[in-house]
Amino acid sequence: MRDYVLRRFLALVPTLIFASLIVFFAIRSIPGDIIDQMLAQNDLGSGQDRQTIEAALGLDKPVHEQYVRWLLSAVQGDLGSSLWTNTSVSSLIAERLPVTFELGLLALMVSISLAIPIGIYSAIRQDTMGDYLARSFSIIMLSIPGFWLGTLVMVFPSVWWRWSPELEYVGFFEDPLRNLSHMLPPAILLGLSLSAVTMRMTRTMMLEVLRQDYIRTARAKGLRESVVILRHALRNSLIPVVTLIGLQAPLLIGGAVVMEQIFAIPGMGLLLLEAVAQRDYPIISGIFLVVGLAVLLINLVVDLSYGFLDPRVRRQ
Amino acid sequence: MSITTTPATSPTSPRPVAAFIGRLIRTKPLGAVGGAVFLLFLFCGVFADLLAPYDLNDTDMARRLVGPGAAHLFGTDHLGRDVFSRILIGGQVSMIVAVSAATFATLISILIGVSSGYFGGPYDMVTQRAVDAWMTFPDLVLLIVVIAIIGPGMGQIVLVLGLLYGIGGSRIVRSAVIAMRSSMYVTAARSSGASDLYILWRHILPNIMPVVLVLFTTRVGAVILAEAGLSFLGLGVPPPAPTWGGMLSGSGRTYMYLGPWLALAPGLCLSVVVYAINVFGDALRDLLDPRMRGAR
Amino acid sequence: MRQAGGIMRMAAGAMCALGVLLASCAPRTPPEAMTPSPEPQYGGELNVATVYATLSALSWDPADWVWKQNHDTGAVRELLLSADLSKARSRGGPHAFTMDVFVPRDALRGELAESWEWEDPLTLVMRLRRGVFFPEKPGLMKRRELDAEDVVYSFDYVRASPRAQPTMMGFLDRVEARDSHTVVFHLRDYNNEWDYRLGYGYYNAILPREMAGADARDWRNVTGTGPFSVSRYVSASVQTYAANRDYWDSEEIAQKTYRLPFVDSVNYRIIKDEATLLSALRTGKLDIAEIVRWINVPQLKETTPELQWNRWLAPQGTLIALRVDRPPLDNRLVRRALNIAVNKQEIVRVYYGGEAEVMAFPQLPDFGPYFQPLGEMPASVQELFVYDPEKARQLLAEAGLPDGFELNIQVCSCTSDQMDLLPLIVSYWEKIGVRARIQPMEYAAFLSAMTTRTHAEAYIMNTGHVTPLSSLRKNFQTGQVWNPSQWSDPDFDRRIDEAFRMRNEADTIAAVRSMTAEIIDKAPYVWLPTPYLYTAWWPWVRNYGGEVRAGAVRPGPIYARIWIDHDMKRRMGFE
Repeated sequence: MRDYVLRRFLALVPTLIFASLIVFFAIRSIPGDIIDQMLAQNDLGSGQDRQTIEAALGLDKPVHEQYVRWLLSAVQGDLGSSLWTNTSVSSLIAERLPVTFELGLLALMVSISLAIPIGIYSAIRQDTMGDYLARSFSIIMLSIPGFWLGTLVMVFPSVWWRWSPELEYVGFFEDPLRNLSHMLPPAILLGLSLSAVTMRMTRTMMLEVLRQDYIRTARAKGLRESVVILRHALRNSLIPVVTLIGLQAPLLIGGAVVMEQIFAIPGMGLLLLEAVAQRDYPIISGIFLVVGLAVLLINLVVDLSYGFLDPRVRRQ
Repeated sequence: MSITTTPATSPTSPRPVAAFIGRLIRTKPLGAVGGAVFLLFLFCGVFADLLAPYDLNDTDMARRLVGPGAAHLFGTDHLGRDVFSRILIGGQVSMIVAVSAATFATLISILIGVSSGYFGGPYDMVTQRAVDAWMTFPDLVLLIVVIAIIGPGMGQIVLVLGLLYGIGGSRIVRSAVIAMRSSMYVTAARSSGASDLYILWRHILPNIMPVVLVLFTTRVGAVILAEAGLSFLGLGVPPPAPTWGGMLSGSGRTYMYLGPWLALAPGLCLSVVVYAINVFGDALRDLLDPRMRGAR
Repeated sequence: MRQAGGIMRMAAGAMCALGVLLASCAPRTPPEAMTPSPEPQYGGELNVATVYATLSALSWDPADWVWKQNHDTGAVRELLLSADLSKARSRGGPHAFTMDVFVPRDALRGELAESWEWEDPLTLVMRLRRGVFFPEKPGLMKRRELDAEDVVYSFDYVRASPRAQPTMMGFLDRVEARDSHTVVFHLRDYNNEWDYRLGYGYYNAILPREMAGADARDWRNVTGTGPFSVSRYVSASVQTYAANRDYWDSEEIAQKTYRLPFVDSVNYRIIKDEATLLSALRTGKLDIAEIVRWINVPQLKETTPELQWNRWLAPQGTLIALRVDRPPLDNRLVRRALNIAVNKQEIVRVYYGGEAEVMAFPQLPDFGPYFQPLGEMPASVQELFVYDPEKARQLLAEAGLPDGFELNIQVCSCTSDQMDLLPLIVSYWEKIGVRARIQPMEYAAFLSAMTTRTHAEAYIMNTGHVTPLSSLRKNFQTGQVWNPSQWSDPDFDRRIDEAFRMRNEADTIAAVRSMTAEIIDKAPYVWLPTPYLYTAWWPWVRNYGGEVRAGAVRPGPIYARIWIDHDMKRRMGFE
């Protein structure tokens, strides 16, 4: 077991380096670099200006040298600073990551609280009208583009009832009510579309479990249906939940750009979008590194937890 | 000496196809309807140029923002263009993007998944780590960066979305291949000296077809939605080529009050197609391989 | 088929009906609630979606020479000169104060400078106001009075930066402090835009000399003599400015004098999505929305009739740059044909719903005497604004292109207005045989194409007016970054440089007018209509009439003079 964990950890390192290398080189080859943008504010941009600015920003060195420099400081925890505002990248990420994480967490909670009961119900009453309705509902939620639902939620209540979700981000521990009034509407929308996936997984899992021998045995023993379901089936439904967390880890860390834009949430998604538009290379690299690391770690934990949750995996 | 085998649930030979469709209609009517709806849209997409009553860019400022009526089935937009024609052509564009991206994605999934799953060993480990690296990033994030690099355009979007979903889907194909690898038929074929290529062609590929088929259908829906999301962020297929996502996120949102049909038409089409294809994919999955119900 | 249309119609109708039904449930304010209170009240929070509501602060350090500085710090840091808001239209004066940069001479007011005079043709002496203080900033400085050394420091600091624009203040030789409240500017050359470039411009904020040891890029170190201080900054969400209760300036309202600012804080709300911004406005979460596109105005007036409105011409030109270094665009006849083939009146009337002006570039009507109305322009200039596809085809034939030609036109996918407008223009051009291929580009790539001069033959863009003379220089002088048409006329260049040296304003006005008419006639661009913009605010926002800027992209003084009518706001149910 420990070997397995160690091996996975070690495998993380080349993966991250490989990914960060690609990102580093790729963003510097995008047409339109940051110097061009800075020059476009000037009355007169001559060759001389360009070189001075490049030197001031440290962009005049060869790319591979820049990369090594960046990697060495990143390993020590210094992700550099924004080329525009000189704010440290780590402080920017530290500011935005909790926001994104909270949104993702709320969305997951919404999705799980919807999906598990509906999934179980769907499995028990398989192929009945209820099952069809439940599955149809979840697929409908999947089929409507997120930005459209977000727009409807943002616009129509303001027209009909003079109400709109809170605009300003306030930390959860500072003012929980205001925070939730800001984060819940987008979290619910995200959760609804996530729930479709989770619901199907739960349903599938439940169906499998219900056919298992030990369920039949439990029933034969004369246990009540509800006890059978609660004790055996529910425990196994944790697996799709955990799977979902693993699958949606990028969302938890990387942000849901569309919802962030519509609901004015200062999260990681918008940070990246802006950084790409402004060609703020350190921020882009920093985000990819942090997101990559966090997601890989979450996936590792998810994979390990399978060992505890699913007896079949444990046997392997 | 060859051992031919066709697993009971393979739909690759002609007569079982008809029987399969019959079973679909009987046991999964919703799925059948979904499939039919999708085919209808596909048909409209293919013949859009013939079906569209007006030209795509036929602007006429005198007739702008006219509601649905006899002359214009779905009304006109803010430049006086016929919305119905734009929906048809937009459907064509959306379908082309969706089907090509999904096909490209499926091919990549097969390529990576089969090679990785079948040959295993260090190649598999390295590939899986690369896939891991790719999948750590949220979809939209990757798309934003790549589109920024290669610029907006229909071809670029197909390429990017295909790559994104292809690499993601390779996992599923790989697990199916791994399951197949240790099956009776393959072991027997190997022990009788059949070459890898032969085994891949005759045993592995036909048996993962169900997985691949379902994967393909889900990808089509996912691509349509992804393109809509990209259009919202300004990175989708650029004008003058209309797409449903572009119409919904652009003039649909701007003219929500002055012309609700500008949003209703593309929004409904988009949602209906994605819904239909998902329902069809579900039914397909249920029918083809009961063991596969857990796969995404 | 027809049934499909019928169904669509029913659905749309049902939606509209539902919308109307639900909208009628919306709370309405009784008119009595909106009675204004007679006396200004202090306190409260002002929430503004500024003209740059989608952008966070780019930098807090003047040495970064970022154009947006005054917008973000202009309520904290003051300048030598600014706009005299007592001359605003809302207060009975002639000025709208909606231009992006220019402040007409008669609307100028000394902010930190009390008076100024020319000692000799190249020496400008400014006397600073007394009793102006920098507030205490823990870790940076104690409270102390502003003096001339601060002004010297500010100018030297900014000009020494590696990112400095050499031409902005290139005519300035050095700044010195003659005594504690006298600053002397020694010029190399006279420049009649000295008031803009040294007084109320982008890069003239006065910093305390204690900044020499501090990290100027940290928002916490931003301090100045102004009415506010930066109290909070959450990037991509909000910028909060808290009132400086030690501020020196006051406002006279109804013969009484009031210390400024009135409000306790101002919040710049950063909102990237237009629908979200409008929702926030409707629900009172925004007190002021500085830019509302005309399309949204009728609906807003319906759902929120309480809002107050101001209409103003966008201080930027919408143009298609034609590369005069690429045939056949080097031929004046071809460029004129491309202009005449576009139905600009139709664009104004139908595309912009009448809310646009056919000609408002390179001079803005608000520039006063510098602006010559189209009707007074020479006939050949007026011809460019009359739709005549026949004549356009003739011109092309004369130029040797009877069958038209092909060209590529690049557009930024970030500006939805232009993305929408372009197909219309392309269809106009098609009618005269010009086949244009639209190439959308992502923002940074688009900008970069211009700065590296690798852009296509046609390039549709927006550009600000700045000031009358700088508008000509920026857009038409050889080698300028914002001259994508690559226009190069050494004689024109010389006349522009000469115009900067004219001391008599009447001469400058005459020069600007004649050069403007000449350059419009030569058509290095396709001149497109300029739309009107709207500003909306709730009636409890008082002592305000939709003014947008009091200096180069600087709204600070305007917010300092706003007071919130809390009684009214409460009666209307929003407090």
